[in-house]
Amino acid sequence: MALLELNEVSIEYKLSNGKLKAVDNVSLNVENGDVVGLVGESGCGKSTLIKGIINLLPSNGKITNGEVIFEGEDLSKLEFEKMRKKRWKEISMITQSAMNSLNPVYRVGNQITEVILEHEKMSKHDAMEKAKELFDLVGLDRARLEDYPHQYSGGMKQRAIIAMSLALDPKLIIADEPTTALDVIVQSQILEKINALLEGYSGSMILVTHDISVVAQTCNKVAVMYGGRIIEYGDVKQVLKKPNHPYTMGLKNAFPSLTGEKKDLISIEGTPPDLSKKIDGCRFKDRCPFVLDKCKSGEMPFTRVESGYYYCARHDEIDHLRELADLSETWDV
Amino acid sequence: MRMTKYILKRLSIVALTLFILLTIVFFMFRVIPGDPVSMFIDSGLDKESQELMMKMYGLDKPLWDQYVIYIKGVLHGDFGNSFTYSKPVLDVIGERFLNTLVLTTTSLLIAFSVGITAGSYLAWHRNTKIDLFGTVMALIIRCAPVFWTGMILLTVFAFKLDWLPLGGMTTVGSNFTSFWDKIFSLDFLKHLILPAITSALYSMATPTLLMRTSMLEVIKEDYIELAYAKGLSDRNVRIRHAMRTALLPVVTIFAVQAGLAIGGSVLVETVFRWPGMGREIVLAVASRDYPMAQGAFLFIGFTTISFNLLADVLYAYLDPRVSL
Repeated sequence: MALLELNEVSIEYKLSNGKLKAVDNVSLNVENGDVVGLVGESGCGKSTLIKGIINLLPSNGKITNGEVIFEGEDLSKLEFEKMRKKRWKEISMITQSAMNSLNPVYRVGNQITEVILEHEKMSKHDAMEKAKELFDLVGLDRARLEDYPHQYSGGMKQRAIIAMSLALDPKLIIADEPTTALDVIVQSQILEKINALLEGYSGSMILVTHDISVVAQTCNKVAVMYGGRIIEYGDVKQVLKKPNHPYTMGLKNAFPSLTGEKKDLISIEGTPPDLSKKIDGCRFKDRCPFVLDKCKSGEMPFTRVESGYYYCARHDEIDHLRELADLSETWDV
Repeated sequence: MRMTKYILKRLSIVALTLFILLTIVFFMFRVIPGDPVSMFIDSGLDKESQELMMKMYGLDKPLWDQYVIYIKGVLHGDFGNSFTYSKPVLDVIGERFLNTLVLTTTSLLIAFSVGITAGSYLAWHRNTKIDLFGTVMALIIRCAPVFWTGMILLTVFAFKLDWLPLGGMTTVGSNFTSFWDKIFSLDFLKHLILPAITSALYSMATPTLLMRTSMLEVIKEDYIELAYAKGLSDRNVRIRHAMRTALLPVVTIFAVQAGLAIGGSVLVETVFRWPGMGREIVLAVASRDYPMAQGAFLFIGFTTISFNLLADVLYAYLDPRVSL
């Protein structure tokens, strides 16, 4: 049984001028020990999806369809009190903006012990001991537990949040763009830290990012999200080596390769689809260089591959499309 | 240690501020047309007697000499004698000042504790009917003049229901061994309720609305989302994380509100015949009772500055980002 199983999950936001379907019919399995990268550009529904998993959607957001099965239990139907007990204990988070995720008026140490004491019967002293061990683990000085968040640098705050996320040894950690707000040097330090910690961690992780190179470094599976849907899912090595969806091909082109030959980066022209309108046909049709008439209406066929799946109407000629996608002329508008 | 140093520094600023205040008040009253003799002595008084009185009050001396004498006196704790009462100013003001202080402190405590609770409650139930009702009510109460609110409360609770006394500070004829004995008596409490509530209602809207706005800002912060992700209960998120941080701007306006409340006590004291300093000031200014007015203004200034100091220290205590 998978640790986390998303079955046809849709999430809608109610807006003053209608509805916005931020996540549309998403299915995803996270097995024990998996590190799943969730990639996609801004506004594709990544953050909404993970907030949906732990039931932290804003008041105008709602899971309108599907189920979120975590260890056999549908989290989307769980009442607040029961969900609350699972939060952090079973599923913890490394938040997008660690800068603002610590409350400015409490000492960092107390913010870590707060979550330990909330879920475990432990004395304050023992909780603080645990916090000290966690700080050792993420490479922060124990004495800094006494400090307030404003006395921390951005990288330190991110480490503190990582320490906090490990506090209760959760089965799943959701890292929402953990390196986005940091400068490149600190970014790579934090990534190394996360990678090192994953070595000794038996649980699973969902790593949300818009940086494909982060996925390549850290994850074993990748889910590519576009316009509210996971359009391709599979083993990282296979997806990056042999992408099946034209969007993944484009995404791969847009990032520099460290080991491969040196070539110009190719960007994907256009903008993501407007999710407040119903989309007919392929979500990527307006930006896809390979678009045909059959892409423009109906549901895209679901194609299963060795390690995952993808949705593309031209699934029978993917190998040919992949060759074309390597050429920059293909992406010219 | 740093706190002690800070407080010492602030106290010296307080002394300087009071000195400047005293100087301004001293000269201001003497610039206003009219003098005490013409104001309260029958104008039929002959010239010699008038001059004699001026001399008695020390008003015949040059302005500068008067000023030096006054400052010297204040430094020795002597605020001069009231022209009207022919008694030392401190004797007249002393107890009245304490009466005003008890009234304003009580009303501020009510206003801020109710305001903070109500404001955070409204913010937590934002965009509901309760929120709308509460916000509108706060504005209406804020717009109502103090004397009007006071009269309404008097009509209902004193005249119609006869639950509370009409005015004054104690029942006529009651005896108390000391000031403290008095203010902790049930009789005093009964007299305190209506004026304190009247004044509190007036001061309440600002902390309520500010707390509401501040909470709405804080609720959007990432650490609130994280607090929920940590699995904290709704109550813990609201009190420990949201209210605690949202409190900061409210503390800042505490000082301002305190100043306003003491100044505004004139009306409340008049409506409820509260023997405080507010009425005394009006009388002193009207009758050009210089020492009395100067003393009263100095006390008000001192109280306002003290509340400011209190707010600053409280702020630094509540917000670790601010160091004194």
